[in-house]
Amino acid sequence: MENIDVSDEFTFDKEKEIARSFSKRFQWEMLVIGIGQALIWLSLWPLVIYGYFSLFLASSIAIICACFAYLPSHEAQHGNFSRGNPKRRWIDSFVSHFTLITIMFPHDLMRCTHMKHHAYTNNPEKDPDYDTASAKSLWEVIVRTQEGTTKYQRVAEVYKDDPAFMKSFNKGMLVGMLYRSVLLVLVVIFPLETLFLWWLPSKIGVIYLSTFFSWYPHYQTDIGRYKDTRFWSHWMPRFFNHSMQLHFIHHLHPGIGHYDEPKAIEALKPFLIARKVPGAEDIPERVKFNPLIKL
Amino acid sequence: MNKFNELLMNHISHWNMVWFGLIFWGSIFNSIALNFGFDKNPLFFYIIGFLFGLLAKHRGTWLWKT
Repeated sequence: MENIDVSDEFTFDKEKEIARSFSKRFQWEMLVIGIGQALIWLSLWPLVIYGYFSLFLASSIAIICACFAYLPSHEAQHGNFSRGNPKRRWIDSFVSHFTLITIMFPHDLMRCTHMKHHAYTNNPEKDPDYDTASAKSLWEVIVRTQEGTTKYQRVAEVYKDDPAFMKSFNKGMLVGMLYRSVLLVLVVIFPLETLFLWWLPSKIGVIYLSTFFSWYPHYQTDIGRYKDTRFWSHWMPRFFNHSMQLHFIHHLHPGIGHYDEPKAIEALKPFLIARKVPGAEDIPERVKFNPLIKL
Repeated sequence: MNKFNELLMNHISHWNMVWFGLIFWGSIFNSIALNFGFDKNPLFFYIIGFLFGLLAKHRGTWLWKT
């Protein structure tokens, strides 16, 4: 942790205590979004195949589903459904596996690489998300997200001596191969449906995800607990980018549930200013409907 | 069995783009062609998909290099 001189009022213990009070609630909204979007996406297939929906309409809905697919898994990766209760861990696993079908991401691969992203944020060698976070333009983000498995081969090389990481990684790669096989079988039977209901939405979903979850929050930030993620503003209402303007609070306290972040930020604002979190001065007093637009 | 898995993984890691081009893009090109009334031999479109994959393997990416 950085050695910034902060008054006794803003010690890390006090910050943690406040953060902990927002880290208890079961994230039911995320459960509904995760399961809901995956069910909607699955239902699109028979609706298109039997001619009830046009492929264009269904593809548009599938793209929206893909954009909603990751965040429930992200909560699960941090155990924000089970909240440390071993009997509830199956909820984390189930929600994450199920919601990620839409974007063809394996839960175990996402979880192990995301934990490394938290541990080594902005480290060029060790942060698996550094490729997109360090992009200089949106175009670069788009191109880098399309690298696919090449990126993960590089990540595996870095962590090859970490048995726990590699166990999750290999499990994830197997699920990834299963996704690939299902995609290749489906494309032979339903070519255009597979392209427009799964492949294209997953690509757009991943670009959306990398842009708002990885690039904007970490753009031109440094290494260090209070420096690696920033508060930012955007012309887009925050509900369209999953409130990723508030992503810095997640990096400081990953246990805070996504829908409890606005309240946590209001409570922690003085601590964030004292710790010189990038952009903290611009945090509004009340994070309500949409105070985070900057035109 | 381990040897087989190793060979399979090795093959997939080297040739996945080519297989993807052949099966995925071949099927897509063929389907699009049928939709536009081209009734050429499907093999033609699968060969285009295969070449597309081969080119991606050679370049190391489907898109632009950064």
